[in-house]
Amino acid sequence: MKRILVFLNLLFVCSFPLLAQNDLMEELNEETETNLTFDPLAFKAMKIGNLQSTKIGDKGDLYLYVSHRFGPLKNGFDTFFGLDNAITKIQLAYSFWNGVQLSVSRESYNRTLASALKFMLVKQSNRFPLTIVGYSTININTLLDENNFPELQPSDRYSYANQLLISRRFSNNFSLELAPSYVRQNLQDLNIVAQAQHNQFAMGFGGRLKMSKRMSLNAEYIHNFSRPSNSPFSDAFAFGVDIETGGHVFQLLFTNAQSTNEPAFISYAEGDLVFGFNIVRVF
Amino acid sequence: MKKILFLLLLIYGTSCFSQKYFTRTGATDFKASVDFFEPIEAKNKSTTVLLKTSTGEIVAQLFMTAFQFKIGLMQEHFNENYMESYTYPKATFKGKLVDFNLSTIDKKSNYTLKGILTIRGISKEITTTASLKKDKKQLTFKANFSVTPKDFEIEIPAIVRKKIAKKVDISLDYVLEKKV
Repeated sequence: MKRILVFLNLLFVCSFPLLAQNDLMEELNEETETNLTFDPLAFKAMKIGNLQSTKIGDKGDLYLYVSHRFGPLKNGFDTFFGLDNAITKIQLAYSFWNGVQLSVSRESYNRTLASALKFMLVKQSNRFPLTIVGYSTININTLLDENNFPELQPSDRYSYANQLLISRRFSNNFSLELAPSYVRQNLQDLNIVAQAQHNQFAMGFGGRLKMSKRMSLNAEYIHNFSRPSNSPFSDAFAFGVDIETGGHVFQLLFTNAQSTNEPAFISYAEGDLVFGFNIVRVF
Repeated sequence: MKKILFLLLLIYGTSCFSQKYFTRTGATDFKASVDFFEPIEAKNKSTTVLLKTSTGEIVAQLFMTAFQFKIGLMQEHFNENYMESYTYPKATFKGKLVDFNLSTIDKKSNYTLKGILTIRGISKEITTTASLKKDKKQLTFKANFSVTPKDFEIEIPAIVRKKIAKKVDISLDYVLEKKV
């Protein structure tokens, strides 16, 4: 009996280190899981197409955005598929602090000056499934002519957009974004729109499908809830590819809006398909 | 009978109550810089490490996305294009300090470290020398070794090949504390 007991004991003792050996990695695993780790970013560029993505440049990074939107493709050879009527936007974005990006831009559409603020609220991590970013922009239309609008107030030149950008990277290849948006238009030209809608609410949907490490397909659609059914304007959409080459991202896309400023394309997408591109360069 | 019991207790005592040292803030650095180009280096300050003093077994684990670069875009490219951190979030090391003995650590502080490093799901055997130092409560572990991107099937495009070193130097600096 005694022998059996000793034997059993020895067996137990001898097997213990074996068990412990496997446990060491498992034990470590359990300890590691509790560390906070952020998931990689959902989008490569600050924009999906026209819509802002949840990406914010890192502290000290200066980004130059050059965007072109050509004229309607349907004009055919007369305008060389819109190449004669290009709208250009040049934008500089800089992050003074981590997670806060400021930008200024000038677009030839309505000779618009714009500034924008983008700030990180939550980052997708092993503790929280979404990235949430706030975005706010002010546009100044400098094309409005007082000869055409004798009662024009300085404030009429302003339009605003405020957006909450909510994204999730579902897998290595697939990311989605929702963008509840509020747009304020100080000026409503009743020659163009049937009824004044100064405050407009919209919801943007965007997504990315990575085809390879450096290429992805992007698409977005923005539904404007406040647009009357007899409005001459449409819901904006864009689809295209992102091609990343180290310090540059090239975004080649088709869209139905001439402007890439949020208050303009959310409210006034013309509806005709145009070709365009964004070139992003980081310094 | 008493002797046997005493012996058993002794064996139990050494195996059951074998000490472990642990940290979750270990520093793992790497350098893949080439002279005259932008320095390519990053620091991971949240490496978890567990050392079992009775056997010298050591395991370590880190998240690739926790590597901090000076340039944010470099960090993004590291995760997105080279390490594919979404698919392979962790790197692990499982190894052993040969002939490790905590009680004689004052006399002998350098040990051969042998083990298997797994990055991107690919394992490679590593042999290097680790230095250990014991203070009252802490055990400081330091080691260096180098690997090549090829070892882990990391493709580097031709245009940046000149800017990334063929050999990547990795240095480990872990301050372990007694685990309760």
